Amino acid sequence: MAADKESVANVVRVSVMVCLVCAIIVATASVSLRPLQQENRMEYRQVNILRAAGLYQPGMDVRTAFERIERRFVELESGEYVDRPEDYDQRRAARDPQESRALSEDPAGIRRQAKVAEVFLLHDDDGRLERVILPMHGYGLWSTMYGFLALESDANTIAGIGFYEHGETPGLGGEIDNPRWQRNWEGKRLFDDSSDLAIRVIKGAVPDDASEKEHMIDGISGATLTINGVNAMVRFWAGEAGFRPYLDRMRERNRADAGGNPVAHTDAGWR
Amino acid sequence: MGLRQYIDTHIAPHFHKGGKLERYYVFYEMFDTMLYSPDATTRTTSHLRDGLDLKRVMMTVWFAALPALLFGMYNVGYQANIQIAEFGYDPIPGWRTDFVAMFGGFDPARLGSNLLHGAVYYVPIFAVTYLGGFIWEGLFAWKRGHEVNEGFFVTGILFTLILPPTIPLWQVFLGISFGVVIGKEIFGGTGKNFLNPALVGRAFLFFAYPAQMSGDSVWTAVDGFSGATPLAMAASGDLDYTAGLSGVAGTSAGVDLTWMQTAFGGIQGSIGETSVAVIAIGAVVLLLTRIASWRIMLSMLLGMIGTAALFNWIGSDTNPMFDMPWYWHLTLGGFAFGLVFMATDPVSASMTNTGKWIFGILIGVMVVLIRVVNPAFPEGVMLAILFGNLCAPLIDWFVVRANVRRRLSRRGA
Amino acid sequence: MTTAKAKSVLFEPIFNNNPIALQILGICSALAITTTLENTITMCLAVIFVLTCANFSIALIRNLVPSNIRIIVQMTIITSLVILVDQVLQAYHYALSRELSVFVGLIITNCIILGRAEAFAMSNPPVMSAIDGFGNALGYTVVLLFVGFCRELFGSGTLFGIPVMLPTTEGGWYYTNGLMLLPPSAFFLIGVFIWALRAWKPDQVEQDQFEIAPHTPARTSQAF
Repeated sequence: MAADKESVANVVRVSVMVCLVCAIIVATASVSLRPLQQENRMEYRQVNILRAAGLYQPGMDVRTAFERIERRFVELESGEYVDRPEDYDQRRAARDPQESRALSEDPAGIRRQAKVAEVFLLHDDDGRLERVILPMHGYGLWSTMYGFLALESDANTIAGIGFYEHGETPGLGGEIDNPRWQRNWEGKRLFDDSSDLAIRVIKGAVPDDASEKEHMIDGISGATLTINGVNAMVRFWAGEAGFRPYLDRMRERNRADAGGNPVAHTDAGWR
Repeated sequence: MGLRQYIDTHIAPHFHKGGKLERYYVFYEMFDTMLYSPDATTRTTSHLRDGLDLKRVMMTVWFAALPALLFGMYNVGYQANIQIAEFGYDPIPGWRTDFVAMFGGFDPARLGSNLLHGAVYYVPIFAVTYLGGFIWEGLFAWKRGHEVNEGFFVTGILFTLILPPTIPLWQVFLGISFGVVIGKEIFGGTGKNFLNPALVGRAFLFFAYPAQMSGDSVWTAVDGFSGATPLAMAASGDLDYTAGLSGVAGTSAGVDLTWMQTAFGGIQGSIGETSVAVIAIGAVVLLLTRIASWRIMLSMLLGMIGTAALFNWIGSDTNPMFDMPWYWHLTLGGFAFGLVFMATDPVSASMTNTGKWIFGILIGVMVVLIRVVNPAFPEGVMLAILFGNLCAPLIDWFVVRANVRRRLSRRGA
Repeated sequence: MTTAKAKSVLFEPIFNNNPIALQILGICSALAITTTLENTITMCLAVIFVLTCANFSIALIRNLVPSNIRIIVQMTIITSLVILVDQVLQAYHYALSRELSVFVGLIITNCIILGRAEAFAMSNPPVMSAIDGFGNALGYTVVLLFVGFCRELFGSGTLFGIPVMLPTTEGGWYYTNGLMLLPPSAFFLIGVFIWALRAWKPDQVEQDQFEIAPHTPARTSQAF
């Protein structure tokens, strides 16, 4: 045995055996755990969406809470709903030349933008639209920040903001995760009375007597560049190249609905 | 000589061998040699006698920094008083304000009230720094059985001059503790530290408590103040370099800013860094006494000018820092102070003459690189000098090796 | 094969021959994932599992493995175990696995594991190797817990996410130390740990690379 330990035959034998055993272990683990992992991944996204919408409490049953939320797809240019398969991945689409467009004007620093974006709609028990949750991303100081912006049903008032992925400096730019700062956004309005995009994050605190107070968000001290990034990101996604056409349509619909019959969204979407 | 005699007959015996307080000899020695020259002399070979011993060197640097200290103190008060008098800010409530209100008032036109208002901020920082330094230096000297070194004398004053005036005192203590212990003592104390301890302390504070060490609200000591420093203005494109040397290049918190002001003082910033002119007085002293290396000063200046010129030439539409001319780089932020007092620290700089040129150029280039290209830090002097300190031994090693090789080849070996 | 030997194999690596503090191995993960205690403990458990199992299985087949492919065999086994840990984390502790991100996968590159496989498991029986792996992983854990404890306490004012010192950003009194949240702080903390350890056990101090020669008394007669 010891004599032929170094022989070619033994090298082959040992390699095959080790690879086989390892492959079986890894494959078994991967296959048997996949459903659980996928569920986790989905739940993680759902948690973030709920958090941006201001519905999340630690320890809640995410699945049930999320049943009130409907996922739809929006063609950004026209602002119309379109159909996409359930496994549509906006990030992957942004890299696909067929599914995306290169940005000539790129304040958010994202280079390419998917033509179709997902949105999440929150309905109350009567099926009335309560919140619209829009995904956004843009470049901060160090890397791309991913988050959600939640709007009230008027498609103008901000209900919440949240980030689920960013690489900003802890304690400075990282403070965009601080709930105290995020609360700042609640109740602010994206557009002014003449429907112009007015929201902006300023340097320092918003003065009490500012005339555009309802469109201004406090900055974070020591994090000017992150804040500039957040500002550019929100303005980009709320602007013409972002969800503006979609939001305009929604507001038109709201105005029409104001006459009386609320449109119930009953079509079953992705849950 | 009355005091000397008193010490020798009444105090010293307690601390010398056999005395009651023998264990605390280092502390006695520390204060004794601060007052008088030590009487110990070298007892072995290679002994050059010169009036310039370590203590004299340290004292000279200390006095060279004194103009920056005094002006810094005045300017801290002046900046605060101007905001109070002209823009209606309130002084920060507390004992400092009560004290100033009682004795000096808040009149920016009066030298005395500016100095007093500055002193109530600077003196506590100074006291805490020296207290912290002596505690750590004494502790290490005591534990290791050697005498307290004069090195801290300089580290202390330099550390206080590169802090913002509004820094909380406990942070001052933490910063100087980190600088002395991690930056110096764990490597063996004065002479063995490869980093400048004052800068290590400041770097610690910069990364640990960025909110109190940078930003727009820490540089002027009035309540709720926020105004961009000239460097921050440059980074956001609010400086107009075409204004000339005495034209108004920008406005921060209501105060107009000209290049002349940045050169002679009268801007907000770290305590001792604001006036290039008074720093230059220190530079002259250090150069005349040959304590600081003119090679390092000159090469760091040249490195900065070259890199700034290069960026000016390249130009950029999106980054306003590209357009900043070299004479603005020189007067803004801590460049002049770092050039004169920090980079020239003989322990942490390169030792060889060729090495000093490389060392200085490296720092000059890094300062502009960090200021212009890095988005996160508007100021780059501190990090550039620390980087230079890290590279110094390596530079020396190459210089020495090249020298050895050249001499070998000359002998045809 | 006495219990005494097993004991020394188990406990030596904790303070006397600590893989991080004395051998300076496995530093990378100690920097990356020690910002919170929860992450730290997860990482430590993962390393304990991988190191123990890897040492055991490598020792099991040590007499069969040809010496010219032994590193590849060791790596294959280690890698499989790490993937296993990663998959399990993703399935049962998704939030943690997101926080640790690539660093779970990077356990593969943790020098302690390959080091113990090569240095111990290749020449010792399986059970003893498993004990050695466990002991070394414990040594790693001790240092990481210290680092994680300091970083979370001083960096965020919390322990296991529970506020201990309420930070000023939450309306409390504690100014969080931002440096503690940056990777270099782990260097300082590991340095302080090594300092304390060597002050306690001076035999771990390395010899000076050179000694400064003492001054010689004057030899004036030869000079002239």
